[in-house]
Amino acid sequence: MIDIAGVLAANFLYVILITLGGVLVSGSVHFVPVGGAPAAMAQATGIGTGTVQLAAGAGLTGLVTAGAMLNLTDSMALILAAGMVGAMIMIGVTMIIGNLVYVYGVGVPPASAKVDYDPITKDRQDIYVSQGTEGHGIPTVSFVSGIIGGGLGGIGGALVYYSLMSIANGMASADFVGLAAIFAVGIFFVNAVIPSYNIGGTIEGFHDPKFKKWPKAVVTSLIVTFMCAIVSVITIGGL
Amino acid sequence: MEPLIGMGVLALMGAAATIAGASEDLESDVGSQSNPNSQVQLAPQMMYPHRIFNKAISGEPPSNALMAAVGGASASVLMGAYSMSVVFAIAVGALIAAGIHGTYATTAYLGRSASQKRFRQPIYLDMVRSHVPVMMGFAYITTFCILVVSYLMTSVLGHPFPLTLLAFIWGITVGAIGSSTGDVHYGAEREFQNVEFGSGLNAANSGNIVRKAECGLRNGIDNSWFCAKFGGPATGLAFGMTVFLSGWITTIFDPSLGANIGWLSIVVGLAIILILILWNRRLEVFARNQYGPYKEDEEVTA
Repeated sequence: MIDIAGVLAANFLYVILITLGGVLVSGSVHFVPVGGAPAAMAQATGIGTGTVQLAAGAGLTGLVTAGAMLNLTDSMALILAAGMVGAMIMIGVTMIIGNLVYVYGVGVPPASAKVDYDPITKDRQDIYVSQGTEGHGIPTVSFVSGIIGGGLGGIGGALVYYSLMSIANGMASADFVGLAAIFAVGIFFVNAVIPSYNIGGTIEGFHDPKFKKWPKAVVTSLIVTFMCAIVSVITIGGL
Repeated sequence: MEPLIGMGVLALMGAAATIAGASEDLESDVGSQSNPNSQVQLAPQMMYPHRIFNKAISGEPPSNALMAAVGGASASVLMGAYSMSVVFAIAVGALIAAGIHGTYATTAYLGRSASQKRFRQPIYLDMVRSHVPVMMGFAYITTFCILVVSYLMTSVLGHPFPLTLLAFIWGITVGAIGSSTGDVHYGAEREFQNVEFGSGLNAANSGNIVRKAECGLRNGIDNSWFCAKFGGPATGLAFGMTVFLSGWITTIFDPSLGANIGWLSIVVGLAIILILILWNRRLEVFARNQYGPYKEDEEVTA
C-alpha cells in the first residue's frame, strides 16, 4: 500500500517545482511565432507548423540536452541552462532554415502583418506584406520572440524532469529515468496544448495582440500541472 | 571519453540526422502530409480534382514519432531479448516501422479520397501501388537514421534515456522541423507554381493547386522530384544542425570535468544562438533589398 500522504509530504517541494515548470512551458508557447497551415503556404507570418508540435519539438530537444547534463552534473542551474540552450538551438535553427526557404524557395521577404514597424529593427513591415496574405516569413521581432519562447520552454521542461528525478523511490535506475522522462514529456505536451486555445492557430510573437491573453493559459496551466504533479510524484515516489 | 572519439560519433550522428531530415521531408512531399495537404484536400471541393496523393495521417511530428518509437521498441526487444546485432536489430525495427507507416498511408489515402466522392475526386489504385512503396522507402531511411542517432547517443555518448524514448523525441523533432522548413517549399511554391514567383500567395487562390506536371498529370512523386532540389536538403540541414550543435557544445566543453567548463558550454550555446539571430537579420535585409516592397511607400504612424 502506498503511503500517499507521506510521499506527497516528503516531496511537496518537487510538486511545486513541477507546477512551476509546467507554467513556464505554458507561458513560453505564446512567444513562439507559429503560423500553422497558412504559414506553410506563406500566407501568415511565423513558422509553418502547429503550435503544440513546434513547442514540443523545441522543448523535447531541451529535455534531451537537460537529460544528458543531469547525467554529468548535480548542478540544478546548469541542468536548467542546458535545457534552455538545447531548445533555443532547435528553434533557432528551424527558424533560420525556414526563413531561407521563404526567401530563396518562395521569393518573399519576411514581414509582419500585425505591426507597421518591427519593434526591434524599426523596419517598415506593412508594405512588404504581399496582397491577400497576413504576412510571411520570420522577421527579426518574431525570431527573437521565438528564441525567448524556446528558452523558457526548455527551462520549464528541464525543471519538470529535474524535479521528477529528485524524488526518492525504489526503482532500478533505468526504469526511473524512463518513467521520469515519460512524465516530463507528458506534462510538456499538456502545457503545450493549453495555450493553443489562446493562440487559435497563428501568433507572431510577443508583439502580437493575442500575446496579451497569456494569463488565462498560465492560470489554467497552474491548476492542470498541479494535478499532474501530484499524480506523477505519487506514482514515482510510491514505486 | 576521448574528445576525438566523441567528435567522430557526433559527426556520424549529424550525418545520419541530415539524411533523416531530408528523407522525412521527401516522404511528406510524396504523400502530401502536414499543412500543405490542406490545399490538396481542398482542391476537389473547389472543382479541381487531381492526381496528387492525399495522406496526412496526422501532423508530421506525431507521425514520425510513431514510426521512430515503433522502430526503437522493436530494435530494443531484438537486441535485449534475442541478443541480435545492433545493425540487424535497427534494420528490422525500421522495416517494421515502414510497414506500419505504409498501412496508415494506404488507409489514409483511400479514406480521404472516398470521402470526396461528392466532389468527383477519383481513387487511383495505381497511385497506391506506385506511391506507397516510395513512402515506405523514405520512412525506412528516416527511421533507420533516427535509430542510429538514438543508439549512438545511448551506447557511446552515455545518454541516460532509453533508446525508444530518444527515438520518440527525435521523431517529434524531425517532424516539427520538416513541417516548419521543407514543407514550405512544397506548400508555398510547388503547389502554386501557377502564380508568379515571389508574388505571394493570395488567400483567394486557395485550392487552385497546379495539377499538370512537366509531363502528363502531376503526382506526389513529381512533387518530391522538385522538392528534393531545395526543401528536402534544407530540412536535412536543419535537423542535422540541431542534433550536431546541441551535442557539440557539451562534447567540446565536457561538464563532467567541472562546473566552470559546463557553464562555458552554455555560453558557447548562447553564442551560437546570437549568431543565428544576426544571420537571420542579414537574410531579412537581403530579402527586403532584393525583392523590394509590394506597395508604394506611404508614411504610417507607428
